[in-house]
Amino acid sequence: MKPGLLIRAAIAAIVLALVVPGARADDRPFHEQVDLKPIATVAVQSDGRIKSLSSLASEMMGYVSGPRRIAGQDPVFTYLDMLFRPEEYRRADVVYVKGAGPREKIADAILRENLLPEMADKMRAFRKSGLISEVLLTKPEVLAALREMQSDLLRTAKVVDSIESALNVKDPRFLLAKLRIVPRGDGDAGQPWHGIAEVMFADGKEPVPGAMLVLAEKTEPPADVPAEARAAVADGWRALVNGWLKGDAAGVNSAALALAASLRSIDATHYPEERRLEWEHWYFENGHMTKTWLVYMLASILLLLGFVYRWPKARLAGFAVFGLAVALHTVAVLLRWYISGRWPNSNMFEAVTTAAWFGAVGAIAIEWFVRRTAMFSVFALGGAVSAMVALMAAYFLPVQLNPNISNMMPVLHDVWLYIHTNVIIFSYVLIFMAAVSGGLYIVHRAFGGAPAFARVGGAGSLILDGPRAGFAEVLDGVTMVLMELSFVLLWAGIVMGAIWADHSWGRPWGWDPKEVFALNTFLVFAVLVHVRLKAKDKGMWTAVLSVVGAAVMLFNWIVINFVITGLHSYA
Amino acid sequence: MTESTSPTSDASSAATRGALRAVLDLFSSVKLGIWLMAILFVYSSIGSAGIVYPDFAAGNWNILSAENWAHDQLRQWRGLEMTEFEWFHWWPFDLMMILLAVNLAVTTVRRIPFKPVNYGVWGIHSGIIVLIVGSFIYFGVKVEGDTPVARRTVVAEYDARQPDGTTKRERVEFVASPGQRVERGDGAGRVMLEVRSIDPSWELLTGEDKGKRAYSVTVAVEREGKRYLRQVLAGYPQLTEDLIFTGDQSQPVKRSVKETGRPIYDDGLALSLDYAPQEWFYLRNDLAKSWALYVRPKGASSWTERRIDGLPLYNDYIASRDDVFQSGGDDLLPVDPIDIEVGPTAPDDPLRDVTFRVNGYLRYAIPRSRVADAGPDAPINPMAFVEVASEGGRAAGQKASYRLVALDPQESRADEGLLRFVHLASESEFGRFMRQPNLTLRIPSKGIEIREVIRDVAAANPDAPFVEIKGSESEGGVSYAYRVVNLQDGLPVGGTTVAVAIVELRTPKGLFRRWVFDNPALTRDVKDPVAADAHGGPKLEDDSIEITLDPGNGRALVVLAHGPEEGRLRLVSAVGAEPAASDVEVGRPAPIGGGVTVRVEQFFARGTFETKPLVVPRAQRQRDAMETFAQIKLEIPGCRSEWLPFTRWVFDSADEALRRAPYEPRTVKLADGREVELLFSRQRLPLEADVALDEFVLSSHVGGFIASEQGSIRDYRSRLRFRDEGGAWGEPVDVSVNNPVEHRGLWYFQAQWDPPDSRPREGEVLSAGLNYTVLGVGNRVGVYTQLAGCVIAVLGMIYAFYIKPVIKRRNRAAVLAGLAAKAEVEP
Repeated sequence: MKPGLLIRAAIAAIVLALVVPGARADDRPFHEQVDLKPIATVAVQSDGRIKSLSSLASEMMGYVSGPRRIAGQDPVFTYLDMLFRPEEYRRADVVYVKGAGPREKIADAILRENLLPEMADKMRAFRKSGLISEVLLTKPEVLAALREMQSDLLRTAKVVDSIESALNVKDPRFLLAKLRIVPRGDGDAGQPWHGIAEVMFADGKEPVPGAMLVLAEKTEPPADVPAEARAAVADGWRALVNGWLKGDAAGVNSAALALAASLRSIDATHYPEERRLEWEHWYFENGHMTKTWLVYMLASILLLLGFVYRWPKARLAGFAVFGLAVALHTVAVLLRWYISGRWPNSNMFEAVTTAAWFGAVGAIAIEWFVRRTAMFSVFALGGAVSAMVALMAAYFLPVQLNPNISNMMPVLHDVWLYIHTNVIIFSYVLIFMAAVSGGLYIVHRAFGGAPAFARVGGAGSLILDGPRAGFAEVLDGVTMVLMELSFVLLWAGIVMGAIWADHSWGRPWGWDPKEVFALNTFLVFAVLVHVRLKAKDKGMWTAVLSVVGAAVMLFNWIVINFVITGLHSYA
Repeated sequence: MTESTSPTSDASSAATRGALRAVLDLFSSVKLGIWLMAILFVYSSIGSAGIVYPDFAAGNWNILSAENWAHDQLRQWRGLEMTEFEWFHWWPFDLMMILLAVNLAVTTVRRIPFKPVNYGVWGIHSGIIVLIVGSFIYFGVKVEGDTPVARRTVVAEYDARQPDGTTKRERVEFVASPGQRVERGDGAGRVMLEVRSIDPSWELLTGEDKGKRAYSVTVAVEREGKRYLRQVLAGYPQLTEDLIFTGDQSQPVKRSVKETGRPIYDDGLALSLDYAPQEWFYLRNDLAKSWALYVRPKGASSWTERRIDGLPLYNDYIASRDDVFQSGGDDLLPVDPIDIEVGPTAPDDPLRDVTFRVNGYLRYAIPRSRVADAGPDAPINPMAFVEVASEGGRAAGQKASYRLVALDPQESRADEGLLRFVHLASESEFGRFMRQPNLTLRIPSKGIEIREVIRDVAAANPDAPFVEIKGSESEGGVSYAYRVVNLQDGLPVGGTTVAVAIVELRTPKGLFRRWVFDNPALTRDVKDPVAADAHGGPKLEDDSIEITLDPGNGRALVVLAHGPEEGRLRLVSAVGAEPAASDVEVGRPAPIGGGVTVRVEQFFARGTFETKPLVVPRAQRQRDAMETFAQIKLEIPGCRSEWLPFTRWVFDSADEALRRAPYEPRTVKLADGREVELLFSRQRLPLEADVALDEFVLSSHVGGFIASEQGSIRDYRSRLRFRDEGGAWGEPVDVSVNNPVEHRGLWYFQAQWDPPDSRPREGEVLSAGLNYTVLGVGNRVGVYTQLAGCVIAVLGMIYAFYIKPVIKRRNRAAVLAGLAAKAEVEP
């Protein structure tokens, strides 16, 4: 081979390496070229709140495609694209169907009429992902299947309802109507903001896009918004739509900036702070920071290794990672507080993530008390495992644990919401942590550990006493400390709930399933306390009953909430 | 005697002491406590969440498959029929609670010395005992219910003209609810009042309160030939004013003051708004079952309550499968009759001698009418279910089903007469259906006689042209022309039916309409279409032209004919050029051309309507419907049994009924001819004081209330007034969510509200809502005893877990110090 050729090849390779990424940059898909931040941080009024368009889009796209993101696009992009180019989304598989049974029924109905092998493949994919197109869903044979499912109110009616709401939300007219992004010029908080459709036909330089003309009728522009502001907003919006339809990313980006600025200028005093909207966008874009479960998992592994092998370095590293996880978790909780304007404890997502945060912070507090005892690091382990499980639930089950921020129901506006709920969820996470140490005790015994237990009764004395050896004693002691704390908190929490219920529902105690199972959880621990007086193998009884108590608590949180609904169904 | 008795009595008292000791030992055992708690756990679990048990589908033994598990509420089973409260107030539960309290008391006193280390345990145990005692008091006297309170009553006073020509002052009251309507008197004395619209927050435009908002009710009035609207504002009677109809399309109503110079157009009627006080509250069925039957002789103004004790709640009880309709054959209701006597329970019952019996109960059923075969002895009454399906063309795949009753003028036709069902008494009647409807026009002076088939009618096609009658030009060059405006067949007139063609005629005498009947004696001309049904006057405007009508098939596209032989069905299709007849069989589709087929699905020659409750399958029942769709089967002495649907609240008359709370009392005739009105509802108790709703305010979050966005609602607030003993209304008090008020031992809660209509409902006035509130009402005796028990218990827990160990440690340190001191001294 001639050297010249090698040199030439090398030069060619260098040139390619330099040029191709540059060339690629121009070829990036449209949705990556568009800078969504200015538009995602526009404020919108929806459901009695002023929120960022980012959170509205993520909520609305959640109705359409459930937990799935469409084609890797940001929900804000999908929202606008669906509004501007609805035809593109009619044949695309974007509607999410929940549940294996309903998917099966829909797929069967389609395959009965369509025998093409491609369709069989498509349906296989649908059964797995749950995503299907509007065109398929509105076929007569599918509509018949849906009607049949709708008549079963117990099992499948909800699925059909959610399909219907997905199709309604997908409708560009609905998406346009939800864009109440134009603030009032008079600052009247008792009146709704204006939809962009009310303003977009105002006189301006930019031509009115045809895509908008088919969606809305030209109406009188709102009088409270000054004419020049109307024109600026209308121009910004029309430029955005026109640029979008042409695929002109640069045009879209500049139009978005202009639109955002003109919206803010209408009523700068009442418009939400830019910083809040940006954080809100960041928070939603980053999946509500539920990925912190990974950090908790690492902490759990390290702390477990440190405890089981009495390995100080692993323990130290575990504490460091645990500290990092708690810090991230704290940021998530505080950020949510800042965005929503209230302590996060009013829906399932908030209850689960906040409970986990209580557990983690509580574990750190207890660790300080037991720093000189053999129980050191076991509470952190329990806290890390609990928080990991809770955040995993929030991460993997966004449909069940809805992360959107909405207004609380009127009945929740009470000081006891903050007292009762937080005390109860704190006790729940302690119960879970006790089950972690109880479970470890059972494992220890299963591998031949001695039937030992912590000898001194009373949590306080355990905390105050010095270091002691033996896995069994340590685990039993940890379980007892956690159990006693949760015992008091659970009872106090139930009583506080009764005080609230007395003035809210007219009865302190309604034998509602949720109340009964909170009491049942308490009964398990009351039995535990008394069994310890009588039983010989106190450690094993304690461990088993702490796991049973946690199971009853989880049953209350999961089965009662999602299967047997009662008065507490909004929690 | 004494000697012999003494050892026995010693022995027996020893035995008694032994037995007592054994009982005391039992009750001071920790094990008993543990067992009681474990049983309590199981009892409350199955009472609350229910039970889950394997229920294997045929051939599938996979225990991991969710289908193989059934969930059931044990307490709701037949025979138990308990609400949650009843389950947790049943004797086994009460017994367990008593045993637990005794166990706690005896153990604590006998086994736990009352000294500082044990204060915690004493606290917990005594706290629980106090809680149990408090709960027995609380649930023993608990009542809980709900009550609707309307915002205003409209009070009308007017001079009513009597038949003898005098006038009399009359008074009528009805609740201010959109669409509420009353009609009194007749003839010249007739008065009609209807609430046309209500604006719960009408902005005042004049007066010193300008800018404030008031509850505004607009009532449509019709009396003495006058029709107008009157607007009344709550709290501002001086601002009452009338709106009069102008007949001008661009401004149909005008303020009376603009037109006549006076705000009140009709002085003979005074309209005002008053409170709508509520004096009862209705017990909730979830605390304990509280069914009641309300009775009164027809015409009486108030109801008498009769408790129905022992009526179930959750399951259906029928004496026979013929009592109800059931859909699907998979799970038919078991025949499980009940028999509950409903006799008078109040001393002032007006029907003391009448006892009803309940012999059926349905939890969730809706009334349904179905066609059934009335049997061979019943009169001929042909009924058919017909399905029309389109297989080709634009309407491919479309289907429509019809229920047709041949002898009922309204129900014998469908789709504006295009489909008809007729009964033929004789074969000769069949002939007409084989012809298209046609008119015969004759102008004898010109010697013209033509026969024209009616194809196009102006009612369906406003552009239908006039048809010139050829050769009919008169001297002035004006010809006769006509067009058919409408054709109707089978119009019921005075016990018979007629056919009529409305023909617009242009003759030398002008333009007019002629109503041409199939019976020529009825044919007449009409100049003013509004007075068409008025009799008298000249019959024909222009008798130079005569028209006769042969209705033929009455423009029906499809005629289904029954007879003259019973059971014979024929179909006449006019889809083609000429009507064609064919025999049809039930269930067999018959093509009628154009890709359309007609199928008779069901046919009864001697049919009848049967109305029965349709039991809704469990899977289709709304979970939060509670008892809304319940029905009882009531056996009325001397009369057949009747199903009575549940009514949530008992209003004295329809004038008090609220939106979404229908008022439909059932009237039945007893054997002795007395007429009695009945309602099936819940027991009610008198409120300690009458309550009125002054105002209802819906507050919202930023952006105001938006009906489609639930999250926009911040709070509901009812401003109430209670009537004091002197009969005057007290100061207003606000009740909102989480903020109840107490009045004379009863607590009032904000429970439900009256939301605005989201979309207009058929034939109803659109409601802006906020016209009434629903309050929860209940007592709470013993709640502070319960609270005291809970607080003592929680203090005990804190002491036992966090103070006792400190004391113990101090004691141990003291003992160790003592030992050390001793050790120092001893050597």
